[in-house]
Amino acid sequence: MRLELRDVHHVYARGTPFQVEALRGVSLVVEQGEVLGIVGGTGSGKSTLVRHMNLLLAPTSGEVIVDGVDATTLGKSGLRRRVGLVFQFPEAALFAPTVEEDVAFAPRRLGLEEAEVRERVSETLRSLGVGDLAGRSPFALSGGEKRRVAIAGVLAMGPEVLVLDEPTAGLDPASREELLALIRNLREAGVSVVLVSHDLDEVAEVADRVCALQEGKVRAVGTPAEVFYSDPAQAPATVRVASLVNASRPGIGEPVRLDETLGALRALPGV
Amino acid sequence: MTSLGQFYPVDSPVHSLDPRAKIVATAALAVGLFLIDSTTGLLFVAAALVALVAASRIPVRTFLRLLRPVLFIVALTVTFQILFSREGSVVLEWGFLEVHSGGLRLGFFLALRIFLLVSAAGLLTATTAPVALADGIEDLLSPLKRVRFPAHEVAMMMTIALRFIPTLGDEAEKIRGAQAARGADFSEGGPVRRARSLIPVLVPLTVGAFRRADELAEAMESRGYRGGEGRTRYRELRFRKRDALAIAVSVLVLLVGVML
Amino acid sequence: MDNPGIGTRPGGSLAVCCERVSFSYPGSERPALSEISLELRRGEYVGVVGPNGGGKSTLVRLLNGLLRPDSGLIRVAGHDPATEPFEVRRHLGVLFQNPENGLVAPFVEDDVAFGLENLGVPREEMRERVAGAIRAVGLEGYERREPHTLSGGEKQRVALAGLLAVEPEILVLDEPTSMLDAAGRGEILGRLEALRAQKTILHVTHHLEELIHADRILVFNGGELVANESPERLFSDAGLLRENRLVLPVVPRLALGLGLPATLGTPEDLAEAILAGARAG
Repeated sequence: MRLELRDVHHVYARGTPFQVEALRGVSLVVEQGEVLGIVGGTGSGKSTLVRHMNLLLAPTSGEVIVDGVDATTLGKSGLRRRVGLVFQFPEAALFAPTVEEDVAFAPRRLGLEEAEVRERVSETLRSLGVGDLAGRSPFALSGGEKRRVAIAGVLAMGPEVLVLDEPTAGLDPASREELLALIRNLREAGVSVVLVSHDLDEVAEVADRVCALQEGKVRAVGTPAEVFYSDPAQAPATVRVASLVNASRPGIGEPVRLDETLGALRALPGV
Repeated sequence: MTSLGQFYPVDSPVHSLDPRAKIVATAALAVGLFLIDSTTGLLFVAAALVALVAASRIPVRTFLRLLRPVLFIVALTVTFQILFSREGSVVLEWGFLEVHSGGLRLGFFLALRIFLLVSAAGLLTATTAPVALADGIEDLLSPLKRVRFPAHEVAMMMTIALRFIPTLGDEAEKIRGAQAARGADFSEGGPVRRARSLIPVLVPLTVGAFRRADELAEAMESRGYRGGEGRTRYRELRFRKRDALAIAVSVLVLLVGVML
Repeated sequence: MDNPGIGTRPGGSLAVCCERVSFSYPGSERPALSEISLELRRGEYVGVVGPNGGGKSTLVRLLNGLLRPDSGLIRVAGHDPATEPFEVRRHLGVLFQNPENGLVAPFVEDDVAFGLENLGVPREEMRERVAGAIRAVGLEGYERREPHTLSGGEKQRVALAGLLAVEPEILVLDEPTSMLDAAGRGEILGRLEALRAQKTILHVTHHLEELIHADRILVFNGGELVANESPERLFSDAGLLRENRLVLPVVPRLALGLGLPATLGTPEDLAEAILAGARAG
């Protein structure tokens, strides 16, 4: 699927004294099969932006286009099945008596046959490494397990695009690495992933393209190297190190990932 | 600015009165209203309330909007009063229903009393910040501590509720969004269906609220909380001459009303 | 204890002392903490790391009396948290992980005053100490703000101010930044840096980069204290890191990969070291 946002504006509380313009003309494309990282500080509009991707929020002006068609003409439930949105701290929305029941919620709402629902549920749980928790109560799990069950709940819909809003917030670093591995697996399986994150280092490791937002507008969009090296002060640690070294000893290139950066730095004479 | 809706923050002499004075005055009014028996008396009190609303600098339209929810109950109560009272002579007959003159009179008084009572309470909450109200209630109830009434605990509960209501509201919104993203629809079907569709929101909200309460209790204990004993209070309530005056004037108005 | 006098002397050089402390949660088969012995001397800045469920949070709650040990001895500023929790809480303040659920009052300044109210401090003195604490965390002007309007970093700073107002000598931080974004983390860590000189600090965290300047780091796993190392030693020990599910942050990883010390914390430090080496080489 190709998901496009064209000149999207969003104003909260229009016409009241609390009016806030969260998005001021954002244009963006999510290409098939890519991992798109969305970065920006608080108030940049990241969360507002991604809620437009499944039309949880409608643009005040501008369009959301799915495969060339205006998304508002598609049924809401159809769109939300194809673009799955996982909120920050998604485990806060777990509600069913068992993990199985919770993950089955979305597939059931799609009107699938019970047999297919069960199959999807067990397959999704397995792909997230929590297959053996199917009969447990979601409230009795550890933080990391709950997080994965919550993500499974959205993945079970079989979306073509998975939007993750700060998926590693509050997780310990080991669980974080596991989640990044999941993102890579999804890309391999043909699912596009939109990763909203304040953690630039994790975006550096996994994104194919990056979009940097600032105060409701797109500051830069392109490959991670293009976006991060355009403003090394607001960049992952790898880019900051490489830029600083480059200033005195040019020739390192523009590495972004950890392994690339290590390789480039090792190649420096004298290091 | 709090998000509770009732409080209307402006600068006015009524707003700056001590909450305890306002609570006492409202309570006195509540009692007094049912002692007043004449139309003139009630209208006198009504005039006094109108003067107060004007002094509070709250726009009349806003104030009336605050009262709207109560109108239905008033209408209902009054209708029952009118239909089932047997005092006085019959004025109207319709099948087995009889409307007596006494019923009309009582109905009218009841409507006026309830309306004035609700106006007074509405004025109280509109001119007093929720936190100030909680403090005022705690202070007024504290003599009851001698008979083991948990005045401090009640006030603490109110303060914590006020603190967390907006937070829980945000949480509910977030959960709604998350479930909508999974295909939940809260607007389809009849009342039973709709009520059931709220389960995926209410369950996590409740479970989350209990977890919050746990963490909050730990934090409070860690900061040395051990009930009201030996505790001082940061917020101050200062009872001034004008507050005593306010109470005196309200009692006077009521006495006059009773006499009229 | 070998010398029963040391731990019980208030103002002595020992701030916190645990001797063979064990604790199991009711209904749990495995002990959460098992025969833990450790010491925290005044002025030290000690980190606590390890996988989830390893006993870190349990330790925090035993130190401030929220939990009572099944066996063993604990002394905090000379007092036993199990029998004198109120006293201990004057000397030891805890900053919890969730910024939202630690704030109890409808306004910032009232919340900062909460701990002082509990201690029965007179109002005049409270006003001064609250103002001082709010200044110490850089939140002047926020006094009448409501908690739900604040960012995560601001909320955590309010919580910190609430602790500082009580003026404890010992601060225990239980994963204070894990729910914050990058900006919020910077705010809190900045304030904590400034407090190092005046307080004894025990800092539980998953983010190893926060402990680069710690005096030493305790590693808890499966309820046991498995290591007590300096940051340099811990960061360079790949086996120890792996066994305890610890992940080195980016800059130390790059440093180690280039044969440089693992305690180079910031990109700037690392770049400097690289250039120095390249010039020399």
